[in-house]
Amino acid sequence: MSRAISDDDICDRLLVSVGRGDRAALGELFTREAGRMIAIARRIVRRRDLAEEVVQESFVAAWRAAPRFDPARGRARAWLTTIVRNRSLNLLRDGGRIDLATEDEMSEHRNRDDASSTAYERLDDQDALKQCLERLEPQRRRSVLLSYVVGYSHGEIAAELNVPVGTVKAWIRRSVVALQDCLS
Amino acid sequence: MSDETDRSARAGEYVLGLLEGRDAEAAEMEMRTDPVFRSQVEAFAARMNGLDMTATPEVVPSNMWQRISADIEGVSQDSPATAIPPHSSATKVSSRSPMRPAQWMAIAASLLVGVATGYLGGWLTISEPAPVVVVVLDTPENVPGAVFEAFSDNSVRIVPLKDFVVPEGKIMQVWTLYDKSVGPVSLGTMTSSDITKLGAKPFQAPGPEQLYEITLEPFPGSPTGKPTGPILVKGFATLPGQG
Repeated sequence: MSRAISDDDICDRLLVSVGRGDRAALGELFTREAGRMIAIARRIVRRRDLAEEVVQESFVAAWRAAPRFDPARGRARAWLTTIVRNRSLNLLRDGGRIDLATEDEMSEHRNRDDASSTAYERLDDQDALKQCLERLEPQRRRSVLLSYVVGYSHGEIAAELNVPVGTVKAWIRRSVVALQDCLS
Repeated sequence: MSDETDRSARAGEYVLGLLEGRDAEAAEMEMRTDPVFRSQVEAFAARMNGLDMTATPEVVPSNMWQRISADIEGVSQDSPATAIPPHSSATKVSSRSPMRPAQWMAIAASLLVGVATGYLGGWLTISEPAPVVVVVLDTPENVPGAVFEAFSDNSVRIVPLKDFVVPEGKIMQVWTLYDKSVGPVSLGTMTSSDITKLGAKPFQAPGPEQLYEITLEPFPGSPTGKPTGPILVKGFATLPGQG
């Protein structure tokens, strides 16, 4: 745990330096975080080439926006992840570019579900997020994880869980409120 | 759902990435204008980030850093965030204020304004140009009704926060007053409560204490070239630190 905190501190300091125009600091941040960022993007956009493209663009975007990073408002790694997630989701929602035709759709679906449940299982049992997610009913928890981890839309979750879209929307709205209450 | 619960739900859906189109735009506006919403989003995102940290790092292509290095060559960095102070001298705005500039200038609506909006960090799709001025336009009931954004190329964007009823034969017209001797100038018209982008105008970029408003006018626009109909929303640009 202490190691994770110190990694966060280092990344915060690096991003502040990037905000002052320090390219070497961006390079150091890249060395530390690019591998994980590719993995995060890949959970959402699936294809490795697209994930790499997202991460490359995200670091350029981070360079541009770094002067606006305020360590008092959040951690650098979460900030960077937000850029990567938003860009991945935009790519996914814009559609067209992600061609799944060559893949076996059934196994693809299974992989997506696995990726989201793996993320959940890997959370430390002491992590409040794990404990709060645990309190949700399994179907609702899956809905939240499928949207956050692999970027599923309401419609995709509904298809995956074989329930109406309206039900998924209601589940997620209640779940995110419950999660925020539980985490606060 | 109570308003508070509704806000938590929207903050949660926003973090999950489930808001699209107009809902996403509205949430991004709220990020700028509602500090409570913004804090909720940031706090929830920070907790959810635990799930991202479980991802096993993948191999990074050896030439990727060189490509990024080349890409940032010549890319200038944004200016640091400008604090946006809440501005709450909430004088009641009459729905039929006389259209005399002196009186317009005297009316202070409650609003929040940002100049050089550097407010959102990673939350915006940062490839899009950031507006140079953001003004919240209030309804005559003093509640936020629309957000006005001006860009450095003098184009503007209106993001309605509610559905305005536009009766048949009417149209919404967007106005600004940048020079009392010139009087109100039309920025363009809107037919619906969808997000509307209006083209560049030849006059100067928005300045402090500049008034913006939307009125209901006969189709296809005010017959006199000046506002004639009831005010739907209005607000003033104020530089941070003023007001």
